[in-house]
Amino acid sequence: MADYIEPTYAEVNKDVLRAMMETGPKYWATLGTSITVAAVCFFIPWFYQLEVGVGAAGMNRSAVWGTYLSNFIFWIGLSHSGTLLSAVLHITNSSWRKAIYRSAEAMTLFSLITAALFVMVHLGRVWFVHWTIPVPNQMGLWPNFRSPLMFDVMAIATYLTASSIFIYMGSVPDFAAVRDASSGLRRKLYTIFSFGWRGTAREWHTLGWAYTFFAVLVIPLAVSVHSIVSWDFAMSLVPGLHHTVFAPYFVTGAIFSGTAGIVTVMFLLRKYMNFERYIREIHLVNLGKLLVLLSLIWTYINIMEVFTTWFSGSSYELEALEWRLTGFYAPMFWEMILFCAVVPLLILFKRIRTSWKSMLIISILINIGMISERFIIVATSQPRKFLPNAFGFYFPSIVEISITIGSFAVFTTLFLIFVKWVPAVSLYEVKETLKPLRRSS
Amino acid sequence: MSTNVMGIFQFEDEFIGALRRLKESGFDGLTAMSPIPLHEAEHILGFDKSPVRRFTLAGTLLGAAGGFALSVATALTFILPTSGRPIITIPPYLIISYEMAILFGVLFTLFGFHVVSGLPAWRDKIYRPVSNVDRFTLVVECAEGENSKLAENIILESGAEEVSRVEGDR
Repeated sequence: MADYIEPTYAEVNKDVLRAMMETGPKYWATLGTSITVAAVCFFIPWFYQLEVGVGAAGMNRSAVWGTYLSNFIFWIGLSHSGTLLSAVLHITNSSWRKAIYRSAEAMTLFSLITAALFVMVHLGRVWFVHWTIPVPNQMGLWPNFRSPLMFDVMAIATYLTASSIFIYMGSVPDFAAVRDASSGLRRKLYTIFSFGWRGTAREWHTLGWAYTFFAVLVIPLAVSVHSIVSWDFAMSLVPGLHHTVFAPYFVTGAIFSGTAGIVTVMFLLRKYMNFERYIREIHLVNLGKLLVLLSLIWTYINIMEVFTTWFSGSSYELEALEWRLTGFYAPMFWEMILFCAVVPLLILFKRIRTSWKSMLIISILINIGMISERFIIVATSQPRKFLPNAFGFYFPSIVEISITIGSFAVFTTLFLIFVKWVPAVSLYEVKETLKPLRRSS
Repeated sequence: MSTNVMGIFQFEDEFIGALRRLKESGFDGLTAMSPIPLHEAEHILGFDKSPVRRFTLAGTLLGAAGGFALSVATALTFILPTSGRPIITIPPYLIISYEMAILFGVLFTLFGFHVVSGLPAWRDKIYRPVSNVDRFTLVVECAEGENSKLAENIILESGAEEVSRVEGDR
């Protein structure tokens, strides 16, 4: 943009720390609403389900997996935005990542927490969740590591740990900036958070190396996490799920949905935290291009899924496919195709990809499509497996619908708390993108 | 007895120039602080490949071995025969091994970062908050007298905004 005036180093500190430290009534109102919705729509129905049993959900004998697991996949998918994208762009030295990666990584963390909550909601007897962890117990019971569900436990626990460390380490220099700009209890807290960071050459050098290693380790991890989630389904023999293409399908879908999530969050941060000088058109355009690419890959894999099912000639697979394309949930399937394969093509038009509002709408539509995709995978396969006498039907109950809506409030609450504790834009990395402070220049 | 001479610079190139001249003049006790990473400064101070990489490698190898051992040990402790298949099955255990390799790689890298960078360091050290905003700070440890005078001169000639003698841990 022609009228863009680059901020100075001091202005970067001032703008970002002001957004973090100054809290207005609009923030408190949003946080209050979010907490209320999370309590009413998520936690109260969950406690109700704990009280009366998982019968409160719409799952039944043939449909033993429902919305909770489709939501779990959605939130795990959304988590692939931040850490993976941030790590890939760090390794490839893409400077445009620097203004947006912190919020994207936070998205990863909070999406993962929300996803983990869905596992607990789905479990029913959540107080036995520790049985999945390999710790000695009085029953001599150990997890079965041959099960894809145990792969999941290990992968998600690793991803949560790695993502938390990744975001924390990148924030240490910024915690020092918060420490220096504050007083009282906040100063004491950030002195601890920043580990006594001074920005010495040794500290920068070590952080640079460590951060690159984190990035290198996180990329294969993120790919493995969603591949493993896909194996929860693909390793069964259920028609509609037993597909070798599921791992790349899930990973692509995850990055696609996560990238759309970043666009949504970017819009909100820019508008409500006044980050117009830092989150700019270049970010929107680059993410838009990425969305088009991911949409094309996602569409290709969908076509391949249909083609290989047809080519297999398996009557069970063909029946499952027909039910998906023309059955009760067919409108949802075609809505998914519209939102994830057709709508993103609009980004090819310059007017669309440079408009914040258009991109916001497209990003939301993509994620509605991705929620539908996960729901279709779960709801149209298990209840229609093999012989017609075993056929059933799944429709989510009001408790499941409420918990689904509430999960967005849980995520929003966590994110709103985050932006007041951690600078939402990385101070030092944004400074690196500015004109160097040189007398010669 | 030694003392510290501190210089604060507005410009990165002058800061790097001062650092280089001090190093060439034989000063070894140099600490450079900046709001952004400066690879040139790291190079002058002799920071090359970081030992952090050894921690990462060790963690990854240990995690891989540990993950595999954990899978085998749990299978042998709680034997779960499934349709005559082997109790110890390599392919699924490799996945656990892979995840644990990454987990321990990350944890050891974190540990390595702390060991190599000397953090946490909460006790008071010479520091000016401006060096985390928009200034570049140089601290030189030198003997009282001629030596510190020389350091002051080099810093001033290089274009420092402010030069002072400070007490404390570098």
